[in-house]
Amino acid sequence: MTEPLLEAVNLAKDLGSGAAKVAALKDVTLSLNGGELTLLMGPSGSGKTTLLSILGCMLRPTEGTVRICGHSTAGAGAEDLALLRREHVGFVFQSFHLFPTLSATDNVRLALDVRGQPSKAARVTSREALSKVGLAHKTKAYPRELSGGEQQRVAIARAIVGNPSIILADEPTAALDGENGRAIMKILAEIAREREHAVLIVTHDPRLLPFADRVVHIEDGRITGETPGGIRLSKLPKLQ
Amino acid sequence: MPLVFKLAFRNLFHDRLRLIATVIGIVFSIVLVTVQMGLYLGFGRMVTTMIDHASADLWIIPKGTKCFEDPSLLNIRERYHALSINGVAEAIPLVIGFADWRMSSGEMTPVFIIGSDLRSGGLEPWDVVEGRIEALSSPKTVAVDRTYFDRLGVSGIGSTAEIRAQPVRVAAVTSGIRSFTTTPFVFLDVNRARTYTGVPSGKASYLLVRLTQDADRDRVRQEIMSNIADVEVLTPAEFRERSRKFWLFGTGAGAALFAGALLGVIVGTVVVAQTLYSSTKEHLTEFATLRAMGSSKQYIYRVIVWQALLSAALGFSIAALIGDAVVRLTAATALPIVITPALLVGLFLLTVVMCVGSSVAAIVQVTRIDPAMVFAR
Repeated sequence: MTEPLLEAVNLAKDLGSGAAKVAALKDVTLSLNGGELTLLMGPSGSGKTTLLSILGCMLRPTEGTVRICGHSTAGAGAEDLALLRREHVGFVFQSFHLFPTLSATDNVRLALDVRGQPSKAARVTSREALSKVGLAHKTKAYPRELSGGEQQRVAIARAIVGNPSIILADEPTAALDGENGRAIMKILAEIAREREHAVLIVTHDPRLLPFADRVVHIEDGRITGETPGGIRLSKLPKLQ
Repeated sequence: MPLVFKLAFRNLFHDRLRLIATVIGIVFSIVLVTVQMGLYLGFGRMVTTMIDHASADLWIIPKGTKCFEDPSLLNIRERYHALSINGVAEAIPLVIGFADWRMSSGEMTPVFIIGSDLRSGGLEPWDVVEGRIEALSSPKTVAVDRTYFDRLGVSGIGSTAEIRAQPVRVAAVTSGIRSFTTTPFVFLDVNRARTYTGVPSGKASYLLVRLTQDADRDRVRQEIMSNIADVEVLTPAEFRERSRKFWLFGTGAGAALFAGALLGVIVGTVVVAQTLYSSTKEHLTEFATLRAMGSSKQYIYRVIVWQALLSAALGFSIAALIGDAVVRLTAATALPIVITPALLVGLFLLTVVMCVGSSVAAIVQVTRIDPAMVFAR
């Protein structure tokens, strides 16, 4: 059996202090495997985003351990965590977080630029990434010139361009209509399937279930169960 | 174009209004510093203009003389002591002092008399545009600068007036010999200068020493000092420095100019810091996104510092153009603003340091950035 790309064991996270202290996560154990698209579902305030922040090396757990591609985050400083993110994790956000003053290509290129990749090669790689998400014809467009779905595709291209092993997506379809939402999910599912990436999507939208291999349920900061996804990824139609 | 530079450029030019405010702040600051420092340089040159134009290897001055305009006197017999020293070719007496100039209309105005031995050419008027210096050897003749025609009530060669109730006639006119005190200079023969300033015939203000070709200046200087009591012997550079120090720092004028320059730097720093800080605050989510993508803090600092450098380059370019205009406008005034290449380089470095220094507040803000804020909805 192959080692999980991301492994979290007995995670606990307390937020606030004193009387305002809240246990946001309690004894959470979770692993993500390559080639799998996992949904993390739960109601608002259940701890989804806190868990995503810890898995994405942005937040340190109060207890427990996280291993990213074999590297433990225990005792890592802010720059060490940034390095782990840079090398192994790609993010997709609900509100895209594109840079409004940069073109689609440059938005994608940023992910390579922070990795110190040479400008010319990075430009070619960025255009390829945009092609993969179906935006070969919009490489020079600015975010304001793109629809919500297209902006999210740029964000996905940015997340995958550095070829990270793990993609963490926070409500990636929440700001999109049904059609665009499905298109985005197809892309993410294909990334998991074709690239052997571990893709974790935080959502409370049941319409995403058919795209998942597994669904992890979280409530009140605890993992309450895990169910299989709606359909097998291999049965998904290939993206054009 | 490096992406970090492009991002900085776009961030800066994205909000035009803020950019304009930033650039105005820098321009205001640098122009203020330029004017203050230009005045400092101009003033520094003006106060030594007579020393600069005197033909002397050494100056024998009364002990304790603070500047060229100091009214102290020395005995003329020291001239002969000086001439007796091996290596001294000439010791030319110079008489200076204030006097009243009475116009033909009857109005009075103070003038500053420069009396030199015109045969030896110790300190002659320069940049003569009308008449000839040789004409000043005739009785009652003077040279004045055309800048002061109105002040002196004259119109050129042949105009007459009175100094100390004695008639004088303009025989030579100069151009550009201005006094920082705004009191017009009047050049004439040393003996008549004594009459007009009230300096006794056995006295002089200075002795301008010229050395023989093979003379050792330091040795001659030591010999003069050991042979003549109550005088100092200075090189032109030393006398220049002493005069400059007195006028710039002894009077507080230099301190005032520096204080103005410092004020400019403070204003510029605050304005740039404020605009960079607010720009960074506005782009905080973008910086947090960069952090989430795994960028190092240094990468983000580079964006901010590039913004500061771009602001500096833009602000300095405009300030330099304004500075050039100010130099041209003041060139013919009593106190011209002087900008030297060294000052220009210094001002550019100051602008860069000011702008980069101003980015500290923004950098501190980014240092505290929480990449998890990208999940905020």
